[in-house]
This record gives sequence, C-alpha cells and structure tokens, in this order.
Amino acid sequence: MPSSTLVCEGFAGLAAATSIGLGMPTIPLAIVPGHTNVQSKEELRQNILDVTLARAIENLTTPPVTAVETCEPGARDIVFEGGFDALNDYFYRNEWSDGLPIVPPTRRRIEQFLSFTDYAPDKVLGILLPDSRAATVWSVAVNGVMAGCKPQYMPVLVAMIEAMADSYYGVEHSGNTPGGETLIIVNGPIIKELDFNYTQGVMRDGFLPNTSIGRFWRLYLRNVAGFLLHKNDKATYGNTWRVVIAENEDVLAEIGWEPISVEMGYARGQNAVTISRYTGGNLVVSLSGGIREQMLPYLADAVVKQVSWQLMFTVGQGMGTLRPLILLTPILARTMAKAGWTKAALRQYLFDHARIPASQFERILRDWTLKPTWNLAEEARLGKIPAVYHESDDPERMVPLVWHADDYMIAITGDPLRNSAYVFAHNGVLGYPVCKAIRPTASP
Amino acid sequence: MFISDDDVNDERRYTVYWPRSPRQVQIKPLAPRLDTLAGKTIGLLWDYVFRGDEVFATMQEALAAKYPGIRFINWREFGNTHGSDEHQVLAALPERLKELRVDAVLSGMGC
Repeated sequence: MPSSTLVCEGFAGLAAATSIGLGMPTIPLAIVPGHTNVQSKEELRQNILDVTLARAIENLTTPPVTAVETCEPGARDIVFEGGFDALNDYFYRNEWSDGLPIVPPTRRRIEQFLSFTDYAPDKVLGILLPDSRAATVWSVAVNGVMAGCKPQYMPVLVAMIEAMADSYYGVEHSGNTPGGETLIIVNGPIIKELDFNYTQGVMRDGFLPNTSIGRFWRLYLRNVAGFLLHKNDKATYGNTWRVVIAENEDVLAEIGWEPISVEMGYARGQNAVTISRYTGGNLVVSLSGGIREQMLPYLADAVVKQVSWQLMFTVGQGMGTLRPLILLTPILARTMAKAGWTKAALRQYLFDHARIPASQFERILRDWTLKPTWNLAEEARLGKIPAVYHESDDPERMVPLVWHADDYMIAITGDPLRNSAYVFAHNGVLGYPVCKAIRPTASP
Repeated sequence: MFISDDDVNDERRYTVYWPRSPRQVQIKPLAPRLDTLAGKTIGLLWDYVFRGDEVFATMQEALAAKYPGIRFINWREFGNTHGSDEHQVLAALPERLKELRVDAVLSGMGC
C-alpha cells in the first residue's frame, strides 16, 4: 500500500538506516522541519503546509526509487588479516568496534568459546531488529572474544542474547532518544564460579566478568542488532554500557528473601540472567534510623524523584509497564528482614507511599511532555487503568507511580556493610524486564 | 635493545572473522503509487506522540481542500502504533486497512 512516513528533521538519518533492515531502503519520508514539540501552533501548522504536505503528496503519487541489494560478507567470512593495531583500525573504520581495542576474533579463540555451549554455531537465537540480522551462536562467540570475555562466559552470553531476542524486552527500541542502557543481573551458583563481583563497587568496572560481559552486550547491539550512533542509535546523550551486576545470594538465603531470578519464574539455584533497560538512576545514601520512621519514607521519596516523564509508561504509551528497580545493600536487607519485613511488604510500602498528586501526574503528561493520554479519571472510568488512579475527584489525591506493588523490583547487592540504596528509572515497554536460564556449561 | 613481549605481539598477524551476521530480510518492492488522491481513502497511523493529532488535522484540512472526494480514516481506528500493545496493533494492521478500504497511509510521528 502506498505510504508516506512523517519524520522530524533530526530523524531522517535514523529512518533511512532503519528502513534498510526492514527491507524497504527507499521507503519515502516526508520531513517536518525542526522538532514539533518546540514549535508554536502556528509555526507547526506553517511548517506542515510549507514543507511536509507537498512531500507527502509526492510520496503517495510518484513512483519510488528502485532499491538495490548491498553486498556484505558472509556469516563466517574472514574479513581481515594483519597485525593488532591494523586490525583494530580496520574494525573501527568499519564500525565493528566501540573505539576501545578489541581482542582479535581468530578461529582458535572463537572455537574456544563455542566449546562452552552445546548449541551448534549456526543455531539462530532470534532475529534482531532493526537490522533484521540472525543472532547466531557463532556471532555471540565472535563478539564475546572481541569484548575480552573468557570462553567460560559463553553460556551467560548465549542466555543474554536469548533475552535480547525476546519480544517482551523490545530490543528494537534500543536506539530511542532517552538513550537508556540495559542492566544485566546474574543469579545462581555461576556468580561465584565465574568470579562476578556482587559486593562492594558492584556497578564499577574492574572485575573481568562484570566488565567484559557488559561490553559484550553493547558490541552485540552494535554488530548484530544494528545500533550505531548517528544511524539507528538516536540516543540524545546516551551512556556507556553498564557493568553487569550480580545479587548477593548468600545474604538472600540467610534472610529468606527470593532472588530476582526466582521472582522472574526460575527455581532458586538456577543460573539465570535478567535484563531490563533504565534511563538513569541515583544513589540513596545512608538510610538511617527507624525503618518505618526514616528509612522507608526516604527510600519512597527517592523513588518518586527518579520518575518523571517515565510516567508515560504507567499511563499512555506503555500502560502499566513501568518497573522501577531498587538495589539494597546486604546490611539494609538484613536490618529490614530482622524487623520482619519481606520483599513483598517492601514493594507494598513503595506502592502505597511513593506517590504524587494526580494533578502533578497529569501535568507531566499533558503540559510538560504533550502526551494525548493524560486524564486519569477518564482512563480509569474507561477501565484502561486501575481504579486506584481515580478514587476521588480531588486533583490533589495521591496516586501511585506503578499499577501494582509487584511492579517494583528489588535486588540485594553492593557493599555488604554500607547502608545505602540505588534507584533506577525504568524505560517501561521500551526495555521490559526479561529473564532467561543459563544453560549448563558444556564440557569443553 | 630490549624487546618486550608486547612488541613481539605487535608483529603477530591475526586472521579474523566478520563480527556481524547476515540480514534475514530481502528488499521488498514498494507498492505502486496512486494516480491522484481525489476520491481516495487515506488511513492515518499515529504513535500517539509528538503532536501527530495536530499534524494530521492540518494535513487533512489541506488535502481535503485540494482533492475532491478524499476521505480519511482517523488514527483512533487503528490504535497506538508505538504503545504497549504495538505488536498486536501492527499485526492487525493489514486486515484493518483492508476492512476500512484504505488506499494509502500517512504514518507518523518519527521524532
């Protein structure tokens, strides 16, 4: 069917790059000058009438340019032979590396990685948008080598890419303007077997598995999913990759709280990775005093302060898909558990107390981010959102940030003896939490 | 002159493999275009962001003045193409466009 896609001026490059992976490299675009949201009503109207309209008409009535296939290497093609510096330069110029030196993906190294999985090298774990490339086990090994991973990490890498390919996660959104970054959480005995850091400084680079596996994620997004800056990756600012974190399962077992992986549906003791995408986060330093009197009100206040425009994932763009993540240090978890608090009780506390006035909620959506869906009373009346958002007509009634208490995720990690927490701002439906089991390591 | 192991490694030659993976999609020919928009039905697809409602209203007004008999199917008829149910909305789209006898589509907003 003839179509014309309307894109703001700054997104023409993204649209052109994305259309290649969709098999329609010449799909016609009609440009809107500048950005719609900084124009007055009259400016926007004039831009549409002066620029966009004529192009849209042309797009629907003039035969499009015929597209031609571009030539690329084959799945297992050798692409370079040479010294370390030259190959790094070659990979960088071809946009296959992140700018840091890579470990050369030689046959010997790739085969070492492949020896740690029972999957065949050509097995396809999924097709990744926007480039529509096959996520093969071979390509996982190649990028794992490049990232500086050890061959023993291969089962973790495979599980991560299975998660990346899960449609609930929504990898296709990884180039969106908020530029959020994926956080990977590891659970199970593999934490100690592979020597992941799960204690002090857990989000800092410096431990080989945490750091190199985090780098692998971003290299795979680049090389196989196809997210390159100034092309399919339109992050306004962006971040570097996040170092992989792991939970402190000794403390979880001691206090009887479930790990994230168990809450995501796997048995305790099962090795697993959980992925989700976050647009930011902040430390909540020194939770002190009484749990109910000081600690939890402080934590709830910090959660509120991490959620602003992301409310569009609670009501509107992603109905009920906001899943904030809170990291608690072991000493905080132990203190709370000793006082009888469970993870479920904590989640319920945050649901009940991390609230903002309905007028503020609506103002963020309606006035500040110009979203068409913002009227909580109307949405609740239509049954599109939970009744808790319209328990009265008082505009100052306090409403929750998420639909259900269980939308809060809580992980136990970090400095065992420091009383601080960390709150992540979630990217909603554009990076929804997904957990995958790590298949047992093959005998190499 | 002292030569370190690193210097020796710099002289090593490596044979290395492509880190990407073949695309699983082939070029799809685009649909033939319309001879005129007069008397045609235009479907409006919106991702519910970046003032598409205003943009479409302006375009509708201008197109209606220029092309007699042109008809529009409002974006509400199709649902949000970029919401939490976007997979279902997009999967239902071909059938929905057929049901509504749509001849061409304007889709926005990529901003």
